[in-house]
Amino acid sequence: MAPAIIETNGLTRSYGDICALKPLDLQVPEGEWLSVMGHSGSGKSTFMNLVGGLDRPTAGSLKVGGEDLLMLSEDGLARFRREFVGIIFQQHHLVPYLTAVENVMLAQYFHSVPDEAEARSALERVGLGHRLKNRPGELSGGEQQRVCIARAIINSPKLLLGDEPTGNLDHKSTVMVMELLKELRAEERFTVIMVTHNQEVATWGDRTIYLDDGVLVREERMRS
Amino acid sequence: MVAVKLIPLLFSWFGIVLVLLRGFSGRRVPVAATGVVGFALGVVGAFALLRSYPGELSFGIVRGVVAGVFLLLWGTAVAALYRNTMREFHVFQGEKLVNASFYAVIFTCTTSIIAGAVCTCRLPVTGGTILALLLLVLAAGILVLAALAAEKMLPASLTVSQPALMAAVVALLLFSASSLIRLDLFSPLSMKVMKFAHDFVHQFFESMLIPDHLFIRTYLWGYIGLLFGNGVGFWGGMIIWFTPVVLILLSIRFELLPSVAHIRQGAKRRKLLAAAIRERRIRLVIPLLALLVFAAAAYRSSYPSVEYWDPTPVPVLASPAGEIVIPKQGEINLEDGKLHKYLYKQGGKEARFFVLLNPSGEFTVDLDACAICKPDGYGQAEGTVICYYCKTLIPLETVGKPGGCNPVPVPFTVKADGVHIDALTMINTWGNTVQATARIKEGGK
Repeated sequence: MAPAIIETNGLTRSYGDICALKPLDLQVPEGEWLSVMGHSGSGKSTFMNLVGGLDRPTAGSLKVGGEDLLMLSEDGLARFRREFVGIIFQQHHLVPYLTAVENVMLAQYFHSVPDEAEARSALERVGLGHRLKNRPGELSGGEQQRVCIARAIINSPKLLLGDEPTGNLDHKSTVMVMELLKELRAEERFTVIMVTHNQEVATWGDRTIYLDDGVLVREERMRS
Repeated sequence: MVAVKLIPLLFSWFGIVLVLLRGFSGRRVPVAATGVVGFALGVVGAFALLRSYPGELSFGIVRGVVAGVFLLLWGTAVAALYRNTMREFHVFQGEKLVNASFYAVIFTCTTSIIAGAVCTCRLPVTGGTILALLLLVLAAGILVLAALAAEKMLPASLTVSQPALMAAVVALLLFSASSLIRLDLFSPLSMKVMKFAHDFVHQFFESMLIPDHLFIRTYLWGYIGLLFGNGVGFWGGMIIWFTPVVLILLSIRFELLPSVAHIRQGAKRRKLLAAAIRERRIRLVIPLLALLVFAAAAYRSSYPSVEYWDPTPVPVLASPAGEIVIPKQGEINLEDGKLHKYLYKQGGKEARFFVLLNPSGEFTVDLDACAICKPDGYGQAEGTVICYYCKTLIPLETVGKPGGCNPVPVPFTVKADGVHIDALTMINTWGNTVQATARIKEGGK
C-alpha cells in the first residue's frame, strides 16, 4: 500500500457551539481518489477546507504530504496551498475579465512566474485549445470547469481537491469532466479528494467515505 | 565637538563593516579582525602623514586614494555590465582575483585603511592627539563588534554580489570624505566638468575659427552661455558620480537566469526561475542603498555642514590723501589669522576686499573675488579659503599669490598704525579684473 499523503487524528472543527467536523481519524494513501459524500451540512466542505489548508482545525492533528498543517504559519500555509494543492470549485471562481489562458496564467503567477506557452498547453490538454482567448462569460459551464481543471493542475499539485466540481453541470459535461480528471490523474499521479452529492460521481473514485453531521459514518471501496 | 563631527564617519564605518561581513559571509572573523587592524593602520598612517606634511599634500594624497577607489568602481561597473550583457562567457583577470581566498582580507584591509585615514583627517589639522587616535580606533573596534551582531539580524536572503559590495563600500567612503571640504570629491568633480565644458566650447570656437560677435546674435550666446553655467558642472558631475552604481544595477538586472530547459515539470521549472528572479531582485537592494549614499554624499558636498568664517564686509572710507587705512587693532583684530572683509565705494563704483594675516605671519590684501569666477567671494575654514562660486580650496599659505582661482592680490603697505591701501588702485583692480570677467561671462557685449 502507498504511504499516506493525508493523516488525520481526532481532526475537529467547531464554529462556536456548532461542531462541523467531529473527531475524525482518516488516512488517504498517495495517489488514491477519495470521494466524500454526505448531506448538506454534513462537514464535507469543512473537511476539504481543512485538508486544503484553507481553514485551521480546532483540535486534533492533520498531516498532509508529511507537513503538519497545524504547525505552519500563515505564510507557510499559503506556500503549502500554492505548491501542494489544486482546487476545483463548483462555482468555478474564474476571473471574469481575464481570458481562459490568463486565468490559468494567474495561478502560475501566484505560484512562481507566468508561462503562457505552458498555460496554453494545459488548456489544450483539457480540450480548450480553441477557447484560449475567450472570457469565462463566453464559455459553457463544462468549458469553464475545464478551465478550472487546467488552472488546478498547472502547478503540478500532489493533491487535487474538488468541491462538487460537477454540481452545476449536465450529465454529458459531468462525464466529460470526470473522464478528463481520470486521464490527468493517470498521467500526473496526484491524489484526488472529491466532495460530491452525486452518487454516480462518487463511483469514479477508489473509495468513498460518508459523513453525517460531522461524523464519518461509512466507508466504501469501489471495485476497480 | 570633534566627536560629534566624527559621528557620520563612524556611522559610515559601521555600514562598511556590515556590508563587508555580508559580502564575505564565509569569512566573518578574518574580515572583522582585518577591519580593526586596517582601520588602526589607516589612523596611524594618516597621523604620520599629517604630522610630516601638515599642508595640503597629506589631504591631497588621501583624496587621491579615494578618487582612485572611485575610478576602480567605474572599472568594476563597466566590467560587470560587459560580463552580464555579452553572450560569450568571459572571465576577467580581476574576477580570478575575487575568487582567491586572500581577496576578502586584502579588500577589507584596503577599505579599512582608507576609512581610518579619512576619519583621522577629520580630526584637528595636525591629526589630533594620541589619545584622540586611540579613542577613534577603540570606537571603530566597538562598531566592528556591533556590526558582527547586526549582520546576524539581516535577512539570510540578502546577498551581496562583488560589484555591489564595491559600490556600497565606495559610496560609504565617499560619504565620509564628503564631510571634509579637503577630501570631498563631488565639488571638484563638478568644477572640472564645468571647466571642461568651458574649455571645450572655447576650443571649438577657436578651432572652427568662428568669430565672437560678427554674425552670431546675442540671444544665441545666451544659449551657448548655458554651457558656462553652474548647472553644467553640477549635472555633469552627477552623471559621472552616479553612473557606476547605475551600471552595476543594470548588470544585475541583465544577469542571465539559470537554464531550466532540462527540467521536465513546468511547475518546478517556473519555481526555479521565480527563485532566481527573486534572488536577483534582492541583489539589487545593496546597490540601490549605495545609490542613496552617493546622493547623500553629493548633497553633503553641495551643502557642507562646515561653517565658513564669512564676515560681513565693513564699509571703509579713504583718507584725503586717497588711502584706505585698516587699523591692526581696534574693533577688529587683523592679527587673529582670520580674513576680514571690507567694502570701499567711490562714486558709483565699489570694491570688496579682505585683509588676512597668513600662517607665515605676513599680511595680504586681496579682492574678495578671483579673475576667473563670478565674484561670489571667499569663506575661510580648515586652514583654507574657499571660492564660493567654484568651491576651489586655496590653502592660506598661497593666499596673496596671483593666478588661477586665488583671490586677486592688491598692493599695500604695512605701517605701525595699520595696513595702507591706495584707494584708486583698489577700485581700478576691481574694475579691471572682476568687472571685466563679469562682462565676458554675460556674453561679451
